Formats: sequence, structure tokens, C-alpha cells
Amino acid sequence: MLLPLRSPLIPRLLLVLFLSLICLYAKAYTGSQNDHPVTLNGNTTLRAVFKAIKQQTGFAVMYSTAATALNQDEKMTVNFKDTPLDDVLAYLLRGKDLEWKYSDDVLVIHKKETLPAEKKMVTDSTVTPAMITGKITDAAGAALPGVTVQVKGTSQGTTTNENGSFSLPKVSIGQTLLLSMIGYETQAIPVKGKSILAQLRLAISSLDETQVIAYGTTTQRLSTGNIATIQAKDIEKQPVNNPLLALQGRVPGLFITQANGLPGSGITVRIQGQNSINNGNSPLYIVDGVPYPYELPGTGISAILGNSGENANGAPTGSGNTLSLINPADIESITVLKDADATSIYGSRAANGAVLITTKKGVAGKMVVDVNLQQGWGKVTRKLKMLNTPQYVEMRREAFKNDGITPTLDNAPDLLLWDTTLYTDWQKTLIGNTAHFTNLQAGLSGGTAVVQYLVRGTFQRETTPFPGNFADEREGLHFNLNTASANQKFHFQLSGNYLVDNNQLPNADFTSAAIGLEPNAPPVYTHDGTLNWMLDLTGKSTFNNPLAELLNTYQNKTSNLISSASFSYQLAEGLSFRSNFGYNNIQSTIILLNPLMAIQPEQRSFSQRSATYGNRRNSSWIMEPQLTYEKKIGQGSLNLLLGGTVQQSFNNSETIFGSGYNSDLVLENMAAATSLMAYGTLASTYKYTALYSRINYNWRDKYIINLSGRRDGSSRFGARNRFSNFGAVGAAWIFTEEPLLKETSGFLSYGKLRASYGTTGSDQINDYTFLNLYNQVFVGVPYQGVNGLLPNGLVNPYLEWETTRKLQLGTDLGFLNDRILLNATYARNRSSNQLLNLPLPSVTGRPSILQNLPATVQNTSWEFTLHTINIETRQIHWSSNVNLTLPRNKLVAYPGLAASTQADFLVIGQPLSVVKTYHLLGVDPVTGDYTVADAMGKPTTTPDYIKDRTVLSSPQPRFYGGVQNSFTYKGFQLDFLFQFVKQVGTNALFYNGISASPGVSSFFQPGNQPISVLDRWQKPGDNAAIQRYSTATSPAFYNAISSNAAYTDASFIRLKNIAVSWQLPESWTQQKHFSCRIYLQAENLLTITHYKGLDPENQTVVALPPLKMLTAGIQLKL
Amino acid sequence: MKVTHKNPHSPLFAHRHATITLTLLSLLAPLLQACKKLLEVKAPVTNLNAANVYNSDLTAASVLTGIYATMSKGSFATGKQSVSLLAGFSSDEFTLYSGVTNNSYIVYYKNTLNANQNLQGNQYWGELYRYIFFCNSAIEGLDKATTLSSQVKQQLYGEALFIRAFCYFYLVNFFGDVPLITSTDYKVNISLPRSPAADVYRQSITDLKAAKELLSSNYLDGNLQNSAAAERLRPTRWAAQALLARVYLYIGNYAAADTAATNVINQSSLFTLPDLDNAFIKNSQEAIWQLQPVTSGRNTEDAFIFIIPSSGPSDAAGVSPGTPCYLSPWLLQAFNGQDLRKMHWVNQITVNNTTYYYPYKYKLTTETPVNEYLIVLRLAEQYLIRAEARVWQNKLPAALADLNSIRHRAGLKDTTAASRESLLASILQERRVELFSEWGHRWLDLKRTNKVNEVMSQITSKKGSTWNTNWQWYPLPVDDIQKNSKLVQNPGY
Repeated sequence: MLLPLRSPLIPRLLLVLFLSLICLYAKAYTGSQNDHPVTLNGNTTLRAVFKAIKQQTGFAVMYSTAATALNQDEKMTVNFKDTPLDDVLAYLLRGKDLEWKYSDDVLVIHKKETLPAEKKMVTDSTVTPAMITGKITDAAGAALPGVTVQVKGTSQGTTTNENGSFSLPKVSIGQTLLLSMIGYETQAIPVKGKSILAQLRLAISSLDETQVIAYGTTTQRLSTGNIATIQAKDIEKQPVNNPLLALQGRVPGLFITQANGLPGSGITVRIQGQNSINNGNSPLYIVDGVPYPYELPGTGISAILGNSGENANGAPTGSGNTLSLINPADIESITVLKDADATSIYGSRAANGAVLITTKKGVAGKMVVDVNLQQGWGKVTRKLKMLNTPQYVEMRREAFKNDGITPTLDNAPDLLLWDTTLYTDWQKTLIGNTAHFTNLQAGLSGGTAVVQYLVRGTFQRETTPFPGNFADEREGLHFNLNTASANQKFHFQLSGNYLVDNNQLPNADFTSAAIGLEPNAPPVYTHDGTLNWMLDLTGKSTFNNPLAELLNTYQNKTSNLISSASFSYQLAEGLSFRSNFGYNNIQSTIILLNPLMAIQPEQRSFSQRSATYGNRRNSSWIMEPQLTYEKKIGQGSLNLLLGGTVQQSFNNSETIFGSGYNSDLVLENMAAATSLMAYGTLASTYKYTALYSRINYNWRDKYIINLSGRRDGSSRFGARNRFSNFGAVGAAWIFTEEPLLKETSGFLSYGKLRASYGTTGSDQINDYTFLNLYNQVFVGVPYQGVNGLLPNGLVNPYLEWETTRKLQLGTDLGFLNDRILLNATYARNRSSNQLLNLPLPSVTGRPSILQNLPATVQNTSWEFTLHTINIETRQIHWSSNVNLTLPRNKLVAYPGLAASTQADFLVIGQPLSVVKTYHLLGVDPVTGDYTVADAMGKPTTTPDYIKDRTVLSSPQPRFYGGVQNSFTYKGFQLDFLFQFVKQVGTNALFYNGISASPGVSSFFQPGNQPISVLDRWQKPGDNAAIQRYSTATSPAFYNAISSNAAYTDASFIRLKNIAVSWQLPESWTQQKHFSCRIYLQAENLLTITHYKGLDPENQTVVALPPLKMLTAGIQLKL
Repeated sequence: MKVTHKNPHSPLFAHRHATITLTLLSLLAPLLQACKKLLEVKAPVTNLNAANVYNSDLTAASVLTGIYATMSKGSFATGKQSVSLLAGFSSDEFTLYSGVTNNSYIVYYKNTLNANQNLQGNQYWGELYRYIFFCNSAIEGLDKATTLSSQVKQQLYGEALFIRAFCYFYLVNFFGDVPLITSTDYKVNISLPRSPAADVYRQSITDLKAAKELLSSNYLDGNLQNSAAAERLRPTRWAAQALLARVYLYIGNYAAADTAATNVINQSSLFTLPDLDNAFIKNSQEAIWQLQPVTSGRNTEDAFIFIIPSSGPSDAAGVSPGTPCYLSPWLLQAFNGQDLRKMHWVNQITVNNTTYYYPYKYKLTTETPVNEYLIVLRLAEQYLIRAEARVWQNKLPAALADLNSIRHRAGLKDTTAASRESLLASILQERRVELFSEWGHRWLDLKRTNKVNEVMSQITSKKGSTWNTNWQWYPLPVDDIQKNSKLVQNPGY
């Protein structure tokens, strides 16, 4: 462990774990004597004696007939009565050059060896005549290390070593070995002899790739649920700072948006739509079996990062996204669980789906050192066309003329004081720089059949397109250790991720200034190199210099530890006990500096320099003991899982505001403040516990049924409704396994119908909402020297879960030997018992109260994926992946909506995102003001806010998906991914989001406007799109921004990712024993859209849009 | 052969499995039992649970202290959103600086509040009802409290009733009829209609009468101890009397107003009229109730919003408070040339050849140590209340005496007004120049005396807008009307 652990429980658990590990080893190696009594008499055969031994002592007797020359049918007379087993064997094998030893419940008879005893002890005990051995190669005959070899229907298995060899004890003839490895087709080999030689083919069919699911693995072939997996090979191709961004456009049913283009920014993830009207809609994240928060508690000072789509009721909004604290290159796979069958076992936490992240593990084989260096450059994807200086000046003068106001130094410094011939492209100055990206990864891995290890280190630095020296730097370490007892009954795994992130940014995003600043605004620096405030004659600043924000720096230092340990022990044939332990700790320290020099000069005498210090911590631990049982019943196999979860999470945060420093240089030193004020203190505990079970029955890989159930408790609810039950059933029919189809259909190689139905819950509300809490009133100087207390809000002790019922129907079809795979899924998720923050009229004294309301939200979606292998020859490989999602979100029921307080925001039959707007009729040719239609359709400039907003807009995706192509030719590889989204979004152009209506300009409301405002009303009779310029924002303008014209098409097609690589020919590198790959990767390289704003994804002009990034890199393997 | 044939799937073998399974399940069973315990959470260390708050004198007192601290942080009571500033814009007291683009000032200044826009006329609504909620929950908590000392319980009860009446006074005067909320039961409150203003006043009078019996006659410290060092920061019996006098004046119960004001004025050991420069300092002899500034390094927020720096008035937005207003020419004209208040309570600065006059009752901004507290209720108002009440009762000489005691402090001679009408006019004039830039007195006086249409129709047009009699009432928040169908908007919005 790399960090001191808070809970004393974890070290104790680990100690117990290690002690039990030692005991088990001890047992395995001290079984050289045995006093088990055996009773048997009469005339019999050797075979019968061995059988009796097995029955009475549990030891199966094993030997090689060839090596021992034992004859099973040898007749003999015996008379044992409670004779110790060792004596029985000594009698049976008397006079023969044989000896025996015990290994768990196997008794192996072998030829006496002449080696010294010590040597024998260190010999791998699995190398016995009774075991089978084998070697696995690829199609070309090269040894394949790291192949998983598993005895089908049991938990017994191993992996191949660096020579591609493996050995397994206790495998009887007739059993089947499953050979699997990522990237290769899984192969089933029946055991016919004692050695096996097999070749694995490169996976043509992704049907058999391993998929991680809740508490286990499956394959697409056999799964009953709606699951999508993205493998490391696709994640590695994307130069992203958050692994979630590597999923954009790749997974049907998954919609991801980025709050801004800064490293560590907030990211919103929705799986099959928005289920909850008011509460959390984010999926459950599980990293190596351990639940992981996607956001830290807010300190209120990290606004620049943006949030991750949740605005928790009452608490300060969290910011950024903590998944960015996981190095994408350390990830082996990301699995997205969507339907009830896949998620129900996570119970109350997975109503919004689950994202399982599995980190890389060591692979048996010789040590491989892997070094990867990548360098890249990022830019804003495009600019917004804004007014130039003459156009701007004309707009302002016209505004004054229209209003009949004379420009003065007070109301128009931009016209009278500033140089009206100057022109600055503020987008170029403020967001037009190149962001630099450097990434260095180094790792080593290897191991033997019983121990595999992996250690990886990473360094990444990413700058911003802003002016100034801002950068995000991160250093991370990932390790994984896998070990197993020699007989493969005991497995232990330890893995850890530790990452330190130092994110330095300005306090405010420069994007809004880049868009809004007047084109003739003065130079940012004066001749003497200081910030230019463009003081007027009275000494008052007229220019709100954006570069003042360079001085207001934001530093966010975060350390993240994710650690997990798990062990399993095979108690008996098919029965295993396992347990996971996990501990996470994320700590973040934020310092925000507000030096005096960043304040306009005339305000300095009565302003104070200040600094804000924020601390945020999230730690959680989890323990999950489980029993699994596998058994063949009839012609099928039964899998049982029974487990429990205990989880506790602790969130702490506080923010300290310091003031009264005597210099700008000492702001980072809290002790230099004369006044410190703590606020935003949070200390919350979340406890969660559950019992769950899953039953899976697979009848001849043809009929599969999966049942899961769970009883859950969460501390977020009042004592009355703390526990609840969840369950799901999933079934699949692989109809191509039916004899009729199997024989007749050459074209259809695989066909499966699947269906699932079940319930999951959501407890994504704040902690303690059921307690009537009093908060401290935070003020700088306590009133009468006493800290005040005020009630936090109204409380509801009857809160319960939100429940989501999920129905999914799907089919998976494979054609032409699975070269074409088509999946289609229909999903219908209905969330009811909605935990709604019922808005209250302010006369109640509180803005809202949390309640369970009988409203139902339905998300339906059609999801399609098509995977084709277009060309497959020895040298050329071309495959494609296409996915498409057609989502539909709808409020199905809301008894009493019309009379309720939500009537303004929700419409039955419409998506939750619906916005009621006025119908904008245009600009009145007489007055030059915007007019909207009232409820009767008549033009008005004073509409009724409640009655006249009759047009429904719904900014959300209509359909989305991605097209991926992958080409390989010899050592060359080319991959590209197009993402497409059809959606309605906010019209950034119409209302630029910063300044008010065209013609307004002031110190705090920079006045530049997009060039589209040139089409404006100038004189009576004009038919124009934009209302008359004015120096004040008129009510008519407010009506317009609440109208349908504020929404527009924001669809786009984006070349999300393109990656080219070239593997140096082996003939060049083989002699030096290394391999080398050179590559180019690009992100967001091209965007095709009619959207007129900065970016159709984040649809804002106040936050940096996602960047386009181009990188080049080299990877070496030694 | 006596060997029993057993295969791995035999009952014996299965029995072994069952044993292990049962053993493990029995290990899980306590887990199940422990589940409930595993879910128990205590109140977080950052907060107090309601049950504990009213268990001890100190924490119970902190609740009312929390209300004062919140008021003093600035919004309704003081600073850039204060009633002193915004109601001053609505009336004829202030001129808005021409460089201000902040719409939330322009709409008050031009009497063009738009009910559909946030922060236009309705920000006090939510804030005052929030204080009322705090008071109601304190009243309910105190009702259930069993372990508080009776002195503390009584004082806090009185403070809560007083603050509730104080909030209703402003609600009724800004909005007219308002819902009368006296409990925290949101299920009832969510659909309450507006109660007639008379009913609200009646409840306030009941509350204030009870409060004046409950409240201490001495100033108490933050722990509710009767300490010599206690400042004038908590309401006392005299604050309740003073507010009662004002309420009686507003509803025309002049005899009662006279009595209540007399009760305050007679406390001459506590309250006197100091010279003008000492009227607004902390622990001023004139102060009946003050609020202590709670922003570190600052005196009153009022000083911040009113005192214009040498660079002149400025827009108010962002972190900088700005100084968006200065005294209107009409208010300046209202001062008699000899009036000391124009010299001591008004200051001026000349920028670009324009001279701006601004309120200078509070003179300190960042100076330390803090020497000025915000006055909520002061003695001069009580004199003016009593003068007016006495005119209406035809006690003209007594009224003259009260009026003159205020004029004398301002260096003015006795008033020449003699008739009932001229006396009422002089009192209104005196209130205008005595109480300017404080708590919206002018705006409320214009409305109360039915002069608002006459005065504002001229003033509003000079401000570049049009007066409508409807504009004397601020609009109710449209959000509340949507959430409560029984709530009806004021006419004209």
C-alpha cells in the first residue's frame, strides 16, 4: 500500500489473508505422511483397492502405467483393518521400485527418484506423471505465453509460460480444455492423452472474446445480457486524458459529452438515457471490482473544470471527473453493462447502468519491457466569426443613435477613449495557442505459471491553448501481481494504481473573453509591461483586462490510490470461496489565488488580496465475500454465485478563505493571512450493504438462463425504507445450435435470441437527506462572537429507492462463419417512484423538498452494431464496426402533473429535456423589437410566461453512433472512427451567452457579437432577423432568448479518432531482440456540422471546446 | 467386498459440500444480522441534528444569531441588493449612474420591474420568507424544548416572534396582501393564498405584543447573558415596542402608536439623540437595534455601496460592489440650506466636472477596528412616529415638540407649521431628510400617505420612464405563482 490507510480494518484483513496463504502452502508441502485408516479384506484386484482408498480416504490414486509397470488387474489378497494408509501402500508396493506422495486429495505413485530430497522439495509438484502437459502456439508456430487454459466446467486452470507450455494436474480423459487469450479465438480441446499441442487462431470472431461482467466473465456468444466491451487496443489508439473519452462513438446506448477541452474536465455519461428526473443519472463505476466515485465533493472553487452532469441537491456541485485520474494506458478493458440482467446484481446502485474498468495484468512469459513515448499538439477546432472593428463601432454608434443617447466617456469608453481603428482577434490571442501533449509510458511484465507480475509507470503533461504557462502534469504507477498455489486451488491477486495529478489552470476560462471582447479593446499590456486597464481621466478602468486571470491561478493537486486484493480457494470440486477487498483514496488540494494586481487599480484601495484553499477527500473500502459453485447437471452446467457486500465511503471537504495578506507573493501561505474563514465543510459517510445471488444454467451452449437477486441497504434513506430487493432474469437461445439449423444453415453461422427483465434501483441522492440538520452560518466575523446555526432544509424520513424496470430484447447473428456479426437490441427502461426534489414556493422558506413521486420516465432505445471482416488474407486485414442508437426519452406518467410544481418543466409524452419556449415571430418592422406569438398566435412583445410558451424544444440526441474501420497491411495499421450525432442544441450564435443584446457594451459585459447580428433592423419598414441595436437589453430580447429561436440543429459528424502505425519489420529488429512501432494518432481531427457556435458537443461559448489533437509516438518492446 | 460404492456425486460427497456451504453461510448470517448496524450513520461532524440544537442554551441561541448573521451578510438588510438601495431607486431618493448596465438596477430605477425576470422586485420575497421559516422552526423547536433555561427560552421565543413581525412588515409594504405563514408545515404552506394585509398586521401586532413581554429589557450578549459589554445587537423589549409603534402608525392606530413610541422615548437612560456624527457608530446612543457587520475587514455594506471613490460612480457587477447611485436632485433640493444633515450625512465628489452627492451616514469602509454598525431601528424615527400620531390625535403642541427635537439636532429652527395639514407635510418632509437612504422609508412613506402617484408620475418621467399606479407594488415571483395556483399576481404584471 502506498498511502497510510485510514481504516484499521484493511491491514487486519490483509494480515489474515497472508496468514491463510502461508497455512495453505504449508498444507500443500507437508503432505508426505498419512495416517488415514483403511479397512478392506478378501481377494481383490489392485484397481479395487485403489477405489476403496479413494472412497475411504478421499485420495484419488494416480500413476502412469508405463512408468510404474503397475497392473491394475493384478489379483491380491488383503486384510486391512483401520490400517494407516501409508502402511497399506507400503504393503501394496512392496518389492517394487516405487514410492508415493500426496498432493491435496491426490495420491501419486511414481518411480523412486535418485535425486536428493531437498531437490525434490523445490521441484514443481505439478510435474507429475498424473498430470497433462501441453504447448500452445499461434498459427505460425510461435509459442504463445499467457494463454489461459481452463478445464471446462470447473474452476481449475492455469496459464502458459514463456515457452507456451503449461501443465495441469488431475485432468481426466474426456474432459475438455478451454484455451483462451485476448485477441485469439477461444478453442475447446478434448483431453485424449497426457500431452496436448494446440494452435490458436487469431480471433476472427469477436463472439468469443472475454467480457468482464459483474463478479465474473463471459463471452458475447454465451451472454444473456446487453454488454459492450472496449479493449485496450482501441483505448490505446486515442490520445485522451480521460479513458471515458475513448468510449465516445464506440458503444451503442452510451452517450458521452465533455464539459470543456481542458485536462481533467467534467464528463457527462448517460447509458440508455436519463432515468431520473432530478437525481443522479450517472452510471456506477467499478474499477478492478471496487466502486469508484466519478466526482469529488465540490469546494465551490473549481468552476473551470466544469461538472460531470450531476447537480446534487443542495451540495456544492462537484467538478471535473475523477476517471481522469486513471491512466488510459493501464486499462485492459472497459465493459459497459446496460440491461437489468447485467446490472441487477449491483442492486440499488446501477439503475443507470455500470461501467467496469479492468486494469492490465501480468502475463506469464519472459520479462517484456515496453516503452512508449508520445508527443502531440492540440488546437481549438474552429473559430466563431465575430464582428471586426469597423462593424463593431458601427453597431455601437447605431445603438446610441437608436436610443437617442449621446455617447460619453462614462457610457462609451470603447468609442471615445479606445482607439477605434485597433483590431485584435481575441480568439487567436486567448484560445488560439497550441496545447502541447507529452506522454511517456514504461512498463515491464512477465511471470511463470504460478506468478505473474506487471509494473507500469506513466508521465503525462498537457498544456492549454490559453496564454500563460498552464499545464496538467501527472505521474502514475500501476502494478499487478497474480499468484496461485502449485495445484491452482488457491489464487491471489493484488493490484494498485497510484496517480498524482498537478493541474494548473487560470481561475476562469478565457473562452468567454475570447468571444465577447470588443475587437478594438486596447492592448493587454502597457509600454512598461504591466496589465493595461485603460484608465480614463478619473483613473477608472475601462477595460476588464482578460489577462488579469493569468494572475488568478488555480492549482489542483490530486492523488489517487485504487487498490484491490482478491483471493479464491477451491474448497471442493466446483465449489470455490473468493473475496475481494478494495480501498480507494482520492485527495485533492486546491489553491486559488486572487492577488491585488488582478483587481482594477481604482478598486485596490478598498479590495483585499485573497486566496482560497480547498481540500477534498474521498475514501472508501469494500469487502465482498463470495461462494461459487459449478456443477454439471444433465447435459448442462450450473453456476451458482452467492455473495455479500459491505461498503463504506467517506467524503470530506472544506474550503478556507484567507484575506488580509500584505503581499501578492505570500498568498499560498495560509499563515500569512490575517483572517481565515472556513466554509463548505463536509463530512459525510455513506454505508451500503447487500446480499446477492446469481444462478446461471447453460444447457449444451444452447439454452442459457441467468437469474440474479439482491437485497440491498443504503444509509441514504431513513430507517423506515432502508432495505429493498432487486432481481432480474435473462435468457438466451442459441438457435443455431439446434440440430436442424446446425446441419442446414451454412450462411447463418451463429444466431442467438436473448431477453432480460429485472429491476435496479438508484440511491443517487445526497447523504443525510432524511436527517433534520442544522448548518453553521459562515461569515467572516462571527455575530456577537458566536457562530450561527440554521436549519438545512425540510426533511422527509420516508424516502425510498427510485426503481428502474428494464426490459431488453435482442438478437445476435453471425453470418459467413461469423465474419459478419449483427446485433440488434431493443431496450425499454422505466423508472418510477422518482425521487424528486419537489420545488416549493418560496413562502415555505425552502426551495424544495425531496420526495418519492409516482412519476414514470421511460427510455426506449434501439441499438444496432454491425461488425464485419471485409478482407482477411495473410497480409491484409480490413474490418469495420458500425453502431447506431435510436434513443427515445419520454415522461410516461405523472399523476397530477398539471397541478404540480413541475408543470413548468415537464410535459407528459415528451422527453425530460423538453423546454417550453415562445414562438419567435421575428422583428417587428415598425418598432424593431422582437415579437413572439401569444397562445392565440397573435404577435406580442409582452407575452405571458406561463401561458404563451407553446413551442416545445428538446435539446437531446435523436440518434447517434459511430463507424470504425481498421486496416492492416503487413506492418502497417490504419484505424479511424467517425462519430455522428443528430441532435438539437442551444443556439450559441443567436445569444452569445456572455453579453446581452447587440449594441450593449460595458466593463462587465463585453460587447462583441457574431457577424450574424449585421442583419438587423435599422429603420421602420426593415425586415431583419436581428432586432434594433440598443445600449440596453430590452424585455423583448429576453423574450427572444426564451423562444424557439434559442435552439437549433447541433448535429455533427466528427472524425473522432484516426491512428496510423508501422511496425518495423522483424528482419530489422529481431537480431537485437526488440520490436519497434511508430505511430501517428489524432483526435477530433475533422468536424462536419451546420452548427454555428464554437462546438456542437459542448454547445457553449463560455467554455473551451474539445480540442483537436495530433500526436506522434514510438513504442519499443525489449 | 464390503466396500460401499461411492462416487464423487454420492450423498457423502455432497454432504461435504453442504457442510462447507453451511459453514460459510453461517459466517454470512451474522453479516446479515449486522446489515442494519452497518447502515447506521450518525449526524455528520459538520452539522447538528435538530434534536440536539434545542437541548442547550448556547446552540438554541445560535439559531437566532444565525438569522442576524445572515441578514448582516448583505442582501435585504444592507449592501448592493438592500432595501435601502433598491427602494431608494424606486422612489425619488437616488439617481442611477448612467454607466450602469446592470439591468437589476435599471428596472428598479425606471419602475419597469418585469415579473418574468429573476431578481426583479421579488428577491425580498424569498429572503423574507426564508427568515420567517427560520423563525417558525425556532418557535417549533423551542415549543418542544424541555432542557433550556426559562430565561433563554423566553428571550429566544421573543426574538423569533419579533423577527417574524419585522419580516411581515416589509412583505406587506412591498407586496400588499401576502400569505401568512406561521408554521414550517410545507404541505399547508405550499397552497396558501394571500391573506389580507390587515390580517398580517393583526398577526404581527399579536407577535410584537407577546415579544415585548418576553424580551429582555437589557441588551444581551451572544450567549444571552446580561453583560455590561453587550452591544445593541439583539432585539430587546424596546425594539419590539419601536416596531409596534411603526406598525400602529402604518395602520392608523395613532393612540397605540403614541403609547408604544413613548415607551421607547422614555427610556432616556438607554436612548438619546447624539450629535449627527455619532448617530451611526456602533453602540450609538440612538440605536434601538443594530446589526453587526460580519464580513471581515469591513464596516457596513451600506458604506460600500454608497461611498463614491475618487474615480466616480461605477457599474456594480462581478466581485466589485461598484457604486451605482448618488443622491437625486430632488432629495438634495429637499434639504434646507442650514440643515446640518446635508453637511454631516451627505458627502460629495467631483469627477469630470460633475459633482456627485452621496449618503454619508456611514463613513467607514475598510477601516479597522470596525467602528460602525448598521442601524435597523433608531430613536429619531420614534420621535417622528409620535409626532405624526399626535397630530392625528389633535395633540398639536406635543407633536410640534417631537418634531422640533429632531430639527434641533440638525441645526434647524422650530418649524413654522401650525395647522394639522402643514404639520403632517412638515413631518413627511422631516422624515424624508432624516431617514433618507435608510430601509426604504421614503418609498414606504409615499405609499402609506397616498402621495406615491402624485410624486412618482413626475419623477418617473424625469427618469425616462412612465409611472403607473400599479408599479407601487413589486411583483410576486412568477415561480411561486406557478407552484401555487392560489397565489395571484399583483395587477399590471
